[in-house]
Amino acid sequence: MMVADVIFYLFATVTVLSALGVVGARNPVHSVLFLVLAFFSTAGLFVLMGAEFLAAILVMVYMGAVAILFLFVVMMLDVDFSMLRRESVRYLPMGFVVGAVMLAELGLMMAHHPGEGLHLGLDNTDNTLAIGQALYTRFLYPFEVASLILLVALIGAVALTHRERKRVHRQDISTQLARTKEDAVELRKVASGEGA
Amino acid sequence: MGLDLKSLLQSFALKELAQGMAVTLKHFFKPTITVQYPEERTPISPRFRGEHALRRDEQGEERCVACKLCEAVCPAQAIDIEIDPRSTAEKRLTRVYDIDETKCIFCGFCQEACPVDAIVLGPNFEFFGSVRSDLYFNKERLLANGERWSNELNARIAADARYR
Amino acid sequence: MAEILNMVHELGEGLFGPLLWSLVWVVIKVVLLLAPVLFMVTYITLAERKVIGAMQVRPGPNRVGFFGVLQPLADAVKLIFKETILPEKADKSLFLLAPLLTLVPALLSWAVVPFSPELILADVNVGILYILAISSLGAYGIIISGWASNSRYAFLGSMRSVAQMVSYEVSMGFTLIPVILITGSLSLVDVVEQQKDWWNIIPLAPMFFIYFISVVAETNRSPFDLPEAEPELVAGFFTEYSAMSSGLFFMGEYANIVLVSFLGALVFLGGWLPPLSILDFIPGIIWLGLKAGFLMFVFLWIRATFPRYRYDQLMRLGWKVFLPVSLFWIFLTGLVLQLTRGIGGE
Repeated sequence: MMVADVIFYLFATVTVLSALGVVGARNPVHSVLFLVLAFFSTAGLFVLMGAEFLAAILVMVYMGAVAILFLFVVMMLDVDFSMLRRESVRYLPMGFVVGAVMLAELGLMMAHHPGEGLHLGLDNTDNTLAIGQALYTRFLYPFEVASLILLVALIGAVALTHRERKRVHRQDISTQLARTKEDAVELRKVASGEGA
Repeated sequence: MGLDLKSLLQSFALKELAQGMAVTLKHFFKPTITVQYPEERTPISPRFRGEHALRRDEQGEERCVACKLCEAVCPAQAIDIEIDPRSTAEKRLTRVYDIDETKCIFCGFCQEACPVDAIVLGPNFEFFGSVRSDLYFNKERLLANGERWSNELNARIAADARYR
Repeated sequence: MAEILNMVHELGEGLFGPLLWSLVWVVIKVVLLLAPVLFMVTYITLAERKVIGAMQVRPGPNRVGFFGVLQPLADAVKLIFKETILPEKADKSLFLLAPLLTLVPALLSWAVVPFSPELILADVNVGILYILAISSLGAYGIIISGWASNSRYAFLGSMRSVAQMVSYEVSMGFTLIPVILITGSLSLVDVVEQQKDWWNIIPLAPMFFIYFISVVAETNRSPFDLPEAEPELVAGFFTEYSAMSSGLFFMGEYANIVLVSFLGALVFLGGWLPPLSILDFIPGIIWLGLKAGFLMFVFLWIRATFPRYRYDQLMRLGWKVFLPVSLFWIFLTGLVLQLTRGIGGE
């Protein structure tokens, strides 16, 4: 199991270092890229734990979509981050408090469930199947409520930003495609001198 | 207008995409029509306007009589002629006959203007200059062109003669 | 076959020792997998020029080597010996990293692509998810290249490209879900084996077409090659790239084409299964190669046929047409499966 240990420490080191990089990088784009690296090495850790479904989902959702949107925002906004950074010292104590609370929560959870995690009483040979069964049987309501909340947020965002614009030419591609020669062109014989 | 079922079905069946792809597939199997240039050449017209040449007459004398009609007609003002001071009324000669090929637009007006068929545009288009001055043709170069291409030039003039 | 493998293993263990040999063996397998892939990548560039040439009634490259077969090598030599220009104000390390980030994911995905039931580097039980996950990383190379070049054209091109890739990844993923529903497994080997009776293209024909159009958009190929858009964006995200660093982008693009062609052949066209059981005597890998080769040909074919899409139409097609249609088909597949065999197994 030596190889697995080496790989674990490799991924763990990369995760921690890139997490530090997220906070420490001068350039916000570099910060987001460090975040992406942290996601990626975390996915590697998931694979080592035998949770390849979670790893794939982490890469697909967080790296493939969420972090890309972060990058979009950070690249498009021209924010003077050195200003923000100077002010960030003021929020440092608050940050430490949040960090400490999260660490305490983690410690508490580990103390209460030493090394077993959530026991679902399921056959754990195929963790994709296991996650599916857990989500759609025991946690069906929380799962559906979570997706409903996301849907509401989505519609809310659309409703807030959508406005009807007047005097804008809109293309309706299906009507454009439905046009035929018969209803678009009229051929007429016009005698010379009589055309309008 | 509205949507009728037929056009809806057609767009879902990607009818027009298939039509377009059928056209390209048909051409895929057609023989190519490429002419492999340096080895194969397309025929060129006897009126093709290529590199300039100054012709000589049967006695080997320069045909040019320094009338300067070409210089006058040249829209790009690429031609520069100086008359030889030794010219007589019977025999007019040029001292300088320069064509700046970098200015020339190969319109062929000089050839049309020439009363003695001296300046012509030949069939050759494969000439180059690695520096600008290579393309400032003087009289020697133009006469040399006329000698080099004399057979082709005569044939071209003969071929075109009946239309003139 | 098995004896030869054993002999190789014994020889290797004698040479390197068991631990080191297991690592060396992995490297050997990776090389054996990547060599044909890279060969296909180099030669699809020639195939592209030949096919499009033929469709335009001209011969295509035919000067380097007999029938132009050495053209890719000549291109490679040219690209390698040209100077890689680093723009003055570029973010140098990211600028050089970006082409690698496009190529590497395209090659990583091959780890789970099966060429036959046995011939597979890693038979992961989440094969399809793995490919989807890895291919979603390809966007990083493009977005980073656009940003690191510090050029407006490159940046706009990369923004377009990434928005396009992210959008079409969604519909590409959704077209694979009915297949997963039918198979009941995420493993590509299972997906192929399940198609014994009939290929997935028969019940899922619309999904196959949506899949194919989506991957054309996903790989930024014509008619969805807006990121490159020569007239407006001067080659888009790789405006500033030269020599081999732009060559790597091209390799990434072609590696992706080969990959999605193989994936389409595996998922919808029955992989290594012959179309008729009488044709069983032809090895499966040839069938797979033929099917994937046909899909690659279609890639080139549509490039020779269609003009470029407009950007808003592209987004409309992805979100307003493909997404609803594929969602509806997922629903329909689930319904049919529920009625015929009940969800969660036979």
